[in-house]
Amino acid sequence: MTNAVTLTRVCKSFDTVRAVEELSLQIPQGEIFGLLGPNGAGKTTTIRMLLGILMPDSGTIEILGKSSCREIADQVGFLPEERGLFKRMVIIDIIKFFAELKGIPPRRAVPLADMWLERFELKGWRDKKVEELSKGMQQKVQFITTILHEPKLVFLDEPFSGLDPVNTNLIKDVMLELVKNGTTIVFSTHMMEQAEKLCDALCLMNNGRNVLQGSLAEVKGRFGRNRCRISYEGDARFLKDSALVSRYDDYGQYVEIQPADGVTAQALLAQAISQVTVRSFDITEPSLNEIFINVVTGGAGTGGNHE
Amino acid sequence: MNKSWVLIKREFLIRVKTKGFIIGTLALPVLLVVLMGIQIAMQSVGAREKKTLALMDLTGRVAPAYQIYMNENYQDDQKIPLYTFETVTAAPESLAAVTSRLNTLVQEEKLNGLIILPADIFQTSQFELHARNISNMEFNATLERSISSVVSDLRLAESGLDRELVRKLTQRMDLKTFKVSETGTKEESGMVAFWISYAMMLILYMALIFYGQFVMRGVYEDKNSRVMEVVLSSARADQLMAGKIIGIGGAGLLQFLIWAIFIALASAYGMVMMNYFAPGAGQIPLPTVSVSVYLAFFVYFVLGYFIYATLYATLGSLVNDEADAQSLQWPVTMLIVLGFLFMFFILNNPNSTLAVILSLIPFFTPLLMFLRISVGAAPMWQVALSVVLMIASIFALIWLTGRIFRVGLLMYGKKPNLPEVLKWIRYS
Repeated sequence: MTNAVTLTRVCKSFDTVRAVEELSLQIPQGEIFGLLGPNGAGKTTTIRMLLGILMPDSGTIEILGKSSCREIADQVGFLPEERGLFKRMVIIDIIKFFAELKGIPPRRAVPLADMWLERFELKGWRDKKVEELSKGMQQKVQFITTILHEPKLVFLDEPFSGLDPVNTNLIKDVMLELVKNGTTIVFSTHMMEQAEKLCDALCLMNNGRNVLQGSLAEVKGRFGRNRCRISYEGDARFLKDSALVSRYDDYGQYVEIQPADGVTAQALLAQAISQVTVRSFDITEPSLNEIFINVVTGGAGTGGNHE
Repeated sequence: MNKSWVLIKREFLIRVKTKGFIIGTLALPVLLVVLMGIQIAMQSVGAREKKTLALMDLTGRVAPAYQIYMNENYQDDQKIPLYTFETVTAAPESLAAVTSRLNTLVQEEKLNGLIILPADIFQTSQFELHARNISNMEFNATLERSISSVVSDLRLAESGLDRELVRKLTQRMDLKTFKVSETGTKEESGMVAFWISYAMMLILYMALIFYGQFVMRGVYEDKNSRVMEVVLSSARADQLMAGKIIGIGGAGLLQFLIWAIFIALASAYGMVMMNYFAPGAGQIPLPTVSVSVYLAFFVYFVLGYFIYATLYATLGSLVNDEADAQSLQWPVTMLIVLGFLFMFFILNNPNSTLAVILSLIPFFTPLLMFLRISVGAAPMWQVALSVVLMIASIFALIWLTGRIFRVGLLMYGKKPNLPEVLKWIRYS
């Protein structure tokens, strides 16, 4: 599989702040790629460099086979984190303007705009001014301007922030459709549940560095040993001191257990059954949320687990 | 280029379509028409208004001659005298009582005024007017002129001199000015030429500040609404800046064009209308301005606009709101004001070395070179050089400010200081 975007040892600093340091990453074509990380990790700076709004201090960027986004700006869509539209412009004019900026003449843009407005339930707002719309509606309009020109590569900076579940689903569906048609989507978020549902691959950034990268399965595999979730009747405290267990978390209704190296879930279950009445026994993967917190608070991701 | 065009089109249309623009564009002509109407009305009313005045002549010698003088010199269209006088005399002991009685009549508007010619008027050359309105400059001037004339005549007669002879000998001089230019020499009023240049300079001055600040506001508003970032992902910063400057400039130029057409129409038909509504209200001579002055006005407006709009756009990229903008824009505004302040110096010494140098500095050229052209003091080579210098500095400014502009647009939060801005030039 070819990469839509390749970053090689990219650095960018502002004055004394090193926003991005030695960042190398590959974004595969036709997938949803998550750019994750805490606030101030360098996500927005990275996206701005990919878009050619900022120039890297050093390192190389390859984007859709070109060295600069400037050359293929018409094939790229961008939804910034800080949303913004021309407040006093009419919705349909704004969509026409952004489409024309991407090389789509108005006569082609208008039918597409009407189609999208209908789909996002904004049909009645077509000729209203931006300032009359609610925040969520404005966000949907901005999303339309991001994808109307059928870009090959889309950057979405926190696309779901501030949206209700219905609209979140609407946007998520469109994202999945786009990917099905071959579009590459790069989206940044710190909502790990969303990332977990949508991402094919991801990169976790912290302090301007790429601390963890790979497909979702790879990343989870690296943090890997499966966790067991047991709910039971009886006294399960014996598990805390069991040689089979390397980590024990009691959540009241259930306990979450990390088996020790080389211990299978089977063995753990056998021991549990021998002591308590097991009501349910699940083998779960570590959530992205856990990995995120782990890596960000525990230093660089080595792939191991930190006790 | 195509993207610049899309950006220019948006900036232009969004401004031209607003109510504010349409109202603003129409307001000036409407205001002009109203002002003209008021003036015509005033002239026709003023011309017919009759005044009744009490004339208290304490010398006992001036009043008869004065009444004759006024009846002969101040008449309306039907040859009826404008001023009616009721002559009053008073003995020194009843003077205060008579004056106060007449003042009461003035106050009750039974009289328009009371003129007191004191007994010693020939020595002191002073007289009094008591009226409700003492600020009617034209009436005051008329009184002064007429009393002076009558009193002088009486003085001359008393000293046995021939009035006509004295008049001939002491006649005032009239200055006739002739303008010498490439197109030849013709008689022209120096004052009219000055006032026209002055008015056009004032327009240039206000237009540069006004439209410059318009550009600045446009930039920081878009920056504030965070829309710039999306546009920057599709177009370069210089295209964006060109869109702002040319789009807003185009709207400004359209406004000017509409006004110019209106003024041209007004001067063509204004006289006809004026004579229709107020026959004989006076032939106001329309000043003629040569085509080259109009051309210079247009060229310097456009070039000056580019220089200042570039600076203002850069300011706009540095700030987040009006308050920041107010505190940062003074150096740029100062440049325009400074140019305006040099005007009086240039007007008195249009050919001095300092005048030449100042008018060649691109920031001052729009105002000062225009002024020198309009008074006929700028040789062709200086005009050409000034245009070349302006164009060169526009390109230099765009190169320099374009880098600040790009960084500034992405910087939110506190407004930067000068060292920070200079740093941006290097690392953008």
